[in-house]
Amino acid sequence: MRLSTNKEVSHKSQVTSHKSILLAACGLWLFVCLCAAAPRPTPKVYIKKLKNSRYQLIVNRKPYIVKGACYNPIPIGQNHEYDWWSDPNKPWIRDGKLMKEMGINTIRIYQAGSNPEAVKQVIRDFYELYGIRTILGHWLGFWEYPCPFYGDKDFQDKVRKEVLDTVNLYKDEPGILLWILGNENNYSCLGFINPWSTEEVDKEPDPQKQKAMRAKIYYSFVNELSKEIHRVDPRHPVALGNGELIALEFAKEHAQEVDLVACIIYRGKTFGNLFNSLKATFDKPILLSEFGADCYDAYLKKEDQNMQAFFLESQWRQIYENLADNKTGAGNCLGGTTFEWTDEWWKHTDWDPESWKVHDTGAGWSNGSYYFDIRAEGNKNMNEEWFGIVAIQEELENGINKRIPRKAYYVLRDFWKNPVLNNHGKKKIKSK
Amino acid sequence: MICKVKSQKSKVKSTSQNLKVLSFTLNFLLFTFYFLIPVFAQDVDKLVALSKQIIEAKTNEDLNVAFVELKDLYFQENKYNEFVDFLKSLSAKKKTAGTFINYYIALTRYQELKYLEEKQMWDEYFARGNIYRDELTGNAEKVIDSSAATNPLNVYSRLLLWQLHKDQQDAFEQEALESLRRSCFEYAKSAKDIQPIKEAADKLLEYQERAKSKELYKVYADKVVSSEVNNEQLLSIAADFYQEGNLELSQNFYDVYIDRMQRGGDKEKIIPALISIAKSFAYQDGVPNDPAYAEKIFKKIEQLGAKKAFNQELIYMRAFNLEKAKEYPQAKDIYQDLVKFYPQDAHKNEAIFKTGMINTYILRDIKAGRESFEKLAQQEKEINAHVISGLYQLGLLSQWENDFTKAKDYYAKLLEKAGTNYLETVTLTRQRLKEIEDTGPIEYNLKTFLDISLKEEYSGYKMTKVDLKASIYRLKNNQQTNITSTTYLPESGCMQVEVQYLWSGHTGSAKPGIGQSSFDTSFESAGTKDINLVVVSPSGIIDRSLDLLDVY
Repeated sequence: MRLSTNKEVSHKSQVTSHKSILLAACGLWLFVCLCAAAPRPTPKVYIKKLKNSRYQLIVNRKPYIVKGACYNPIPIGQNHEYDWWSDPNKPWIRDGKLMKEMGINTIRIYQAGSNPEAVKQVIRDFYELYGIRTILGHWLGFWEYPCPFYGDKDFQDKVRKEVLDTVNLYKDEPGILLWILGNENNYSCLGFINPWSTEEVDKEPDPQKQKAMRAKIYYSFVNELSKEIHRVDPRHPVALGNGELIALEFAKEHAQEVDLVACIIYRGKTFGNLFNSLKATFDKPILLSEFGADCYDAYLKKEDQNMQAFFLESQWRQIYENLADNKTGAGNCLGGTTFEWTDEWWKHTDWDPESWKVHDTGAGWSNGSYYFDIRAEGNKNMNEEWFGIVAIQEELENGINKRIPRKAYYVLRDFWKNPVLNNHGKKKIKSK
Repeated sequence: MICKVKSQKSKVKSTSQNLKVLSFTLNFLLFTFYFLIPVFAQDVDKLVALSKQIIEAKTNEDLNVAFVELKDLYFQENKYNEFVDFLKSLSAKKKTAGTFINYYIALTRYQELKYLEEKQMWDEYFARGNIYRDELTGNAEKVIDSSAATNPLNVYSRLLLWQLHKDQQDAFEQEALESLRRSCFEYAKSAKDIQPIKEAADKLLEYQERAKSKELYKVYADKVVSSEVNNEQLLSIAADFYQEGNLELSQNFYDVYIDRMQRGGDKEKIIPALISIAKSFAYQDGVPNDPAYAEKIFKKIEQLGAKKAFNQELIYMRAFNLEKAKEYPQAKDIYQDLVKFYPQDAHKNEAIFKTGMINTYILRDIKAGRESFEKLAQQEKEINAHVISGLYQLGLLSQWENDFTKAKDYYAKLLEKAGTNYLETVTLTRQRLKEIEDTGPIEYNLKTFLDISLKEEYSGYKMTKVDLKASIYRLKNNQQTNITSTTYLPESGCMQVEVQYLWSGHTGSAKPGIGQSSFDTSFESAGTKDINLVVVSPSGIIDRSLDLLDVY
């Protein structure tokens, strides 16, 4: 009886069990269907402040080191006006694969294209196919003709609208990592690059005070934009795109709303005292958003991939030394986006469309920190068309210029796999 | 009996020990040969001898001598890996040399990394760079951990680590520098051999860490002085370092010497000594000089109340030194002293002219400047280069003020006095006269310089962002000199500011264009030559500068 009872119970129990399994399976199926139908939640990205002004970027509750490249895949024969976002051959599919193999987890784009659907597709493809996130920037009208009138209300309103439209359009894309406002726009406050002024500034006779007045106008504007972005999109940090640390003493006064500094910097082998200097002037985390080295020896007049790899490896070593994990560094670095993924053949003599088809070897500027070829004529050693860590060729492959990774590609790939630093015994940083 | 047995046993033991040592030495020498022969056959004998010396060394001093020589032999052939292999093999055979071996492995890897980068031997650099860096830091740290603060290798290892971080400009540079500094102080407390302190200071100076090197040089100098060095020896040490070009260290010894002399209170001896020191450091073309230190000594002479010691030669030297240090207001005062106290001095006209130039173009005091130029122009009997230059400046200032009649008078007087001499100034004068005759403006570059230097609205341009330097300031006729300008622009990243150089004044045989930041020139006639520069960017003026050269 007991046995039979047991059997009965067992049978009942078996039936109940089958029902439960069926119910659970249905439930699971329903859950999966619902999940697939609903939009994916945007991961929350934020900056965690640790002890002693050390900072970490947190993505989906995990620390995230930005291992990136600036991305502007202009094909040979085109210039910066080319809408690569709408390229039917989708160069980013090939690039994303190469990037993933290299260890890149982030791309930096200076400004979104004009077709929002195309832009979304690129961001999604990068994220969904390769897990690569996008940093999206805005020039803040830096290249507007005749100059960026940051003191003019209409100009500010126009830029504000563009920025907020961008944020509203893409803030729910899961691939978005953060926003960068401007790119070296601070130099315009000093009066040498894209200079602008206001009536009030013009009345001031002291050039130093003029600079301070312009910096106050510019950084206050960036501050307002940051505040508004935080209001519409609390899930992504806002960075100030700044050339070097120039004028950050004014940012400290007028732009406290920004979450981090995205620094554009070309100092050769390393970044010197950049990280500690930032702590002293404007205590915010730093992302090296544009740095690198070209691979053309302007002195010997030949490509030199080793020279580029040498500088990049050294720069990345210093980035890692200053991450929050590394106790002996400044701890305020979040990572970097190397300039740049592929060469851009239009840059030198950009006014001449014929030259967009030619890989120009002319150097556009001089920088003594890149010392191997500084003896070039007029000390001009920086070859703007040769900064890619991946070369492009005229030969087409699936409709796009063939990609040939340079030495730096492999050197950085190896470095990210096993970051060896200069401080013996404290050198291992987890490669995330 | 027992004794005999013991003695026999001991003999056997001793023989067996001797055999062991012999076999070990032979083995080692064979091994050494293996490593050395492929390296450089001609030095094999020396290397074998040095290796033997290391094996047999009884003291650290012996080891040190052998290691230094051995290192030199390998380094001169850039045989870094071979040296490291040799050192590693040695570590098993000579345990007591562990600290030396570790240090030399670290040093070798440091040299090797530098060599690979310099020679652009990238395959090895990328394949082995991290291993070498690891060996460098690891071995240097082993030395630091295992050696006493009084061991020179402890200091040298810290120096090596600092150099590595300094070269890399990485996050550990400051920490490494502080560690080096502390270790030097610690070492100096009890060590007898103070050479490591000097070497650390030399290296710091080489890397432009002037303040820190000065500090260590002082420690070094104090240690030398404390070892009962007499004044004569002190002077000799200071002079030796001066000759070596190590002015910082030389100054340390001179300071101690001066201090001792002052405490001795013998004014008759101290003043000539100070004068001699000031003369060595005052500006002179082509020899080591430190105008700031020279002026410090000149001030000391003054403080000691030895005004009389300043004869005309010394006053002129001081003024010239200050002028070259770009301390113009003080230079002007001393030039005025020269004229006041020695109206017959050979440099009197030069001093008056320079006073005028400094007043006019640097201190923006046209009235005071004119007074000096008038003083020269009124020398009716005397015709010399400075009288001609004074007249030119008077004409130029009048022309700039649109007082053309006055300008023409000055220019006419100049041409009359100059005759067929003073070619460069005469040529400029004719150009100015033509401008007046054509009712045209002053040549653009010169006009810009005059406007920025003299108009109140440009008083913000204080010659701080543009610097001018000549390779030689005192020239003979037709002797070449190089004029270089440096413009201090704020960072502008990859967006470089294209600047233009507006040269004017007496540029001699050269006609530098707007794209030239430097040029070579020479002068045909004697006198003080003013070279003017205004640097402009597309968005406006950056700054101006002026330099004065003397042609004899």
